[in-house]
Amino acid sequence: MKKPALSLTPRAVNRVRLAAILGVLGPGLVSGFADNDAGGISTYSVAGSKFGYDLLWVLLASQIVLFFTQEVGARLGLATGQGLAGLVRERYGVRWATFMICTMLIANVGSIIAEFAGCGAALSLFNIPDWIAALLAGTVVILLLTRGSYGKVQYLFVAVGLAVSIAYLISAVLAHPNWGLAASSLVIPRLSSSAAYWVAVVATVGTTITPWGQAFIQSYVADKRLGPEDLVGERLDVGLGALLTNLIGAFIVVACAAAVYSAGIQVDTNSPDAVQQIAGALTPLAGSGATVLFAIGLLAASFLGLGVVPLTSAYAACEAFGWETGVDWRWREAPAFYGLMIFFVVFAGLFVLVFPKDSLVQLMLTAQMINCILLPFVLVFVMRLSADKKLMGPLVSGRFLLAIGWLGTALLVVLSLTLVATSFISV
Amino acid sequence: MLYLSQAIGRPVRDLHGEPIGTVADLIVAIGDRYPPVTGIVVKTNGREIFLLWGSVTSLDAGGATLGTSAIDISKFQQRPNEIRLKQDLMDRQIVDIDGRKVVRVNDLRLDEVEGSLHLVAVDVGPSGLLRRLGIEGPWRTLAHGLHRDVPERYIDWEDVDPVERTIASVKLRVPHKGLAELHPADLATIIDQLSRSDRVGVIAALDDEAAADAIGEMEPETQVDILEDLEPARAADILEEMDPDEAADLVADLSNESRVEILGLMEKDEAEEVQELMTYGEETAGGIMTTEFVAVPATLTAAQTIDRLRELEPTAETIYYVYVTDAENCLVGVLSLRDLIVAKPNTVISKFMYDEPVAVRTDASQNEVTGVVARYNLLAVPVVDADGHLEGIVTVDDAIDTLLPQPSKRRLARLFGRSGPAER
Repeated sequence: MKKPALSLTPRAVNRVRLAAILGVLGPGLVSGFADNDAGGISTYSVAGSKFGYDLLWVLLASQIVLFFTQEVGARLGLATGQGLAGLVRERYGVRWATFMICTMLIANVGSIIAEFAGCGAALSLFNIPDWIAALLAGTVVILLLTRGSYGKVQYLFVAVGLAVSIAYLISAVLAHPNWGLAASSLVIPRLSSSAAYWVAVVATVGTTITPWGQAFIQSYVADKRLGPEDLVGERLDVGLGALLTNLIGAFIVVACAAAVYSAGIQVDTNSPDAVQQIAGALTPLAGSGATVLFAIGLLAASFLGLGVVPLTSAYAACEAFGWETGVDWRWREAPAFYGLMIFFVVFAGLFVLVFPKDSLVQLMLTAQMINCILLPFVLVFVMRLSADKKLMGPLVSGRFLLAIGWLGTALLVVLSLTLVATSFISV
Repeated sequence: MLYLSQAIGRPVRDLHGEPIGTVADLIVAIGDRYPPVTGIVVKTNGREIFLLWGSVTSLDAGGATLGTSAIDISKFQQRPNEIRLKQDLMDRQIVDIDGRKVVRVNDLRLDEVEGSLHLVAVDVGPSGLLRRLGIEGPWRTLAHGLHRDVPERYIDWEDVDPVERTIASVKLRVPHKGLAELHPADLATIIDQLSRSDRVGVIAALDDEAAADAIGEMEPETQVDILEDLEPARAADILEEMDPDEAADLVADLSNESRVEILGLMEKDEAEEVQELMTYGEETAGGIMTTEFVAVPATLTAAQTIDRLRELEPTAETIYYVYVTDAENCLVGVLSLRDLIVAKPNTVISKFMYDEPVAVRTDASQNEVTGVVARYNLLAVPVVDADGHLEGIVTVDDAIDTLLPQPSKRRLARLFGRSGPAER
């Protein structure tokens, strides 16, 4: 409780300033890392295995859009001190809020199932059966979320995110890719008229920009009690988060492009074991080290998602419906919060244990569809809220940001509708 | 009884039963225990018109009926104490003073009280939420079939304090009367749940002393946030009201610019005291002591000493001991309040004071201080420097604080809550 009385030496002052900046960092970073969850990694690895370097430009483009959507979300949090669910309820009424929350929760269950599947896929490379993997991951996450103090949890999440980045960086290097081609593909779009190509484009964007990611950044910023004066730090944070997400995604695509696509290895990307096959396919060219690193990265990313998605879900529901918002939340004081969080993990975990893998893939695809339907609503809410001068004060979106934001929203709406339409056609 | 959600969107008819629009909102005048409805907002042809409550003859779930046929569309002047129920309260966050937490308004309950309609309670329960979603009826049928109740929860308007931002649109200064009457520890708990701008609003509505008490009960990082968000002059006023030892801890945590600015705005004595306390190590007697104590020369009589106490009006935690010092300000004795009262009024205090007072040095460790307090059953222990000059006292409440586990290990309460500087 008592603090160092005098910290007036210049060095101490520098330390304090640095701490202040580091204190702002976090929301964007964690949000960025969490975007590369199990679904993200399998999408990227399929994209790289199937289309080589061709889809790298989509990654760059979606990270740019991600930066702007996350920036608006963070700015809303800074200006209002409220999460998205609460703001939507206040501005657009209880029905819109309920629609948004319920839809998001259903989609999130699908995401959590995907995280479990990711943990299972990663651990199966170490010959650990699926059901043990699911039990293990579920137990560890529940213990962490209910028993862990939140400072530690945040550091753990950032550390896990960094581990994922490093694992994929090394796998990419081990695969001896054509770096020149990779760099040029990043900025020069290589278009194709094949339907599969465009489905992969939509999937890549859809796994990066998610409704829960949008809810997450805003709640996190608001909860950290950051204010308008933290705008610069927060933009830096969001930028850094988007950049790292982009890099991780790019390394995965590059690794798979070099070791699987260029080597001419065929992977059945529709199989539930696609990620395992891809990881295994790294071995001949990049060595078994690359496969192990790939598995570790997938495990860490899935675990991160397994922590963040239930947390965001429980939080958004509590926020919109005004359930306990206590400080020292303990079990007794916040049954709804903890109850929901654990329910999501257990419910999704049971699915993984009980249902065969093929049906799980179908479930995850459905969840992704629901996300696609919800995303336009969320983005329109966010853009409209951010343009409200009365609500935002000095942080209101200027003409430039609004133009970019609406452009991005329009693009995402078109992509979402495309995905929904193609899914219906394929069904 | 009427819920706001049942009236909103219902038709408004004139004297002849002709529909002229729909109910868009109700206006109440706050200030009374149960705010009376003073007006109605009618939506007609895509725009909103305001009517005084006097022109409404009835309002229920079927809609409103007006007592006139000619609508006076004169410009509505919202008076400073009036709020719009739907726009300003519905779905917003409010403070449940009784339950000491921040909740969201699901619906508002209106009742006839003495012949007029008043806002009486806030519905924060599941039934209100279901009603708003339009599925209360089917849900109740379902619940009844399963032999379950649909939980209802209301908060009496008297136990409600609107959150600042909620009604910022009407530029109304919320009195926060209910909050000001809470125990500082409860107030601190509530303020901790609010967003930053709301916090500042609540603090702004409290007097300096109440604000100081509440801030004193908060987590160090929250204290810093609030103080830095306040006007520096106000922050200085509040710091002056805090115990100097608490103020010193808090000032030490401020950013450099804020610290210099706020210290500059404080009364000179108080600022110096705080700065002096800041020079002691955090884990020492000097770091936890307060400079508020009563010291008198040994030559006074009991009656004179009691007079001195009356003049100084010491705070509760410091009145029990009167310290006796010599001309050099060295501690020579101590008197309890009891000693003073039972002594004959004109006895010189040096005759009956305890002249071997227990004291700790400014650099004594916190554990040592706690040990001394426990061993001698003291309510406060004096703190002296190397030369025996009396510098301050450590009261028992500050001493036992060191025995308690650090409150820093909070649960994963909010999403992640604070981090960074807070975890220094």
